[in-house]
Amino acid sequence: MEHLSPDTLARLVDEAPDEAESAHLDACPECAEEWALVQATVDALGRLPDVRPPRGDWDVLEARLVSEGLVRHEGGLRSTLARTPGWMRGAAAILLFLAGTGVGAAFDSTTGTAVPGRSGAGPMVFAAQEPTSVEEAAEAMRQAERVFYDSLVRYRQMVDAEEGDVVSVDPQRRYAALEYFLAAGEAAVQEAPADPFMNGLLASVRAERQVARAAALRQASRTQDWY
Amino acid sequence: MRPLSEAQLIRRAGDGDARAVRALYERYAPRVYAVVRRIAGDDDLAQDYAQEAWIRAIRALPTFRGDARFSTWLHRIAVNAALQALRRTDTRAKREAPMPETVPVGPTRGDALLQTRLEEALDRLPDGMRQVLILHDVEGYTHEEIGDVLGVASGTSKSQLFKARARMRSLLGPIGRQDAEHGVEAWSI
Repeated sequence: MEHLSPDTLARLVDEAPDEAESAHLDACPECAEEWALVQATVDALGRLPDVRPPRGDWDVLEARLVSEGLVRHEGGLRSTLARTPGWMRGAAAILLFLAGTGVGAAFDSTTGTAVPGRSGAGPMVFAAQEPTSVEEAAEAMRQAERVFYDSLVRYRQMVDAEEGDVVSVDPQRRYAALEYFLAAGEAAVQEAPADPFMNGLLASVRAERQVARAAALRQASRTQDWY
Repeated sequence: MRPLSEAQLIRRAGDGDARAVRALYERYAPRVYAVVRRIAGDDDLAQDYAQEAWIRAIRALPTFRGDARFSTWLHRIAVNAALQALRRTDTRAKREAPMPETVPVGPTRGDALLQTRLEEALDRLPDGMRQVLILHDVEGYTHEEIGDVLGVASGTSKSQLFKARARMRSLLGPIGRQDAEHGVEAWSI
């Protein structure tokens, strides 16, 4: 006796079997069992649950909505900042400062001043140009804002990844990222050595880097055979 | 203070009120993410597609007239965004990606393993079969609706569906027979 094909059994979930198919299902326990399993599979598919997006999804979306002008800044930005660790806000602020003063050119690999932990040009590359009109100043502000959000989003993603699974945190990668922030901070302080805000931010980044360095060393001592 | 109705939320979100957008997101993000995740068959792509869907939806909010339910309207945008993005993306390399670490919504019982196996099997289906199977068996689209969304004849949708179900059975084979030995309740979700 020839069994019903898998496609036929799949069809019979939606359509009534004809006479021959029905007779076969009555006579063949294998096909009847397989048919029941196809039906059970379809039922199970229909009851698959919804799925929560990954952590940090809203922050990324919010940043995009703001950058595209689809939502107003107030509230959203503040709430994002409120949930952002101080050192991250500091680093983002440094980047904004650099972009605003034109020192962001230091990020451009074409200048030969590479920043650790980052390769190539990205959204943080800025042309140093003094605005000469209100329109140009507004455009510069918009660019700076985009840089700020890009930075914030990247930092949030990194922190969310760390918070989501402590075991998977890679202290060495975190340390490398902080090295990058440190380089940006030092460039900012070099530009404005007496600025207390920039110096405070730099101190914050240095402190975080110190902690990350210790964690990276601890991890290395656990995972490597020094002998 | 009384909570805002959905219509009020939609109107405010359309005006750019970030809190209203957030409220809509909180309400519908799991639904949107679930459908784009299954269509994408990949976590990283799913996040991008879901974001794209939300951007499109928020952009189009001022045009939402309430002729359909908001959830239906949003769902359709999400499906279209995912399908269009998938056409632009070569997903073959990512098809081998591990299962997501995302969290199913709602209580999970002893069916967690079965859900995981189903999601894994879905990810292994060829794109065309997976899309039809998800739209029909998971999302409840008719073959005519699938034909409209995918740009294929409803007959093609049907034949793809049957092949997809058969492939799913072949991918789930061992688990299906094992569960069958322990009774049908092992399948209930």
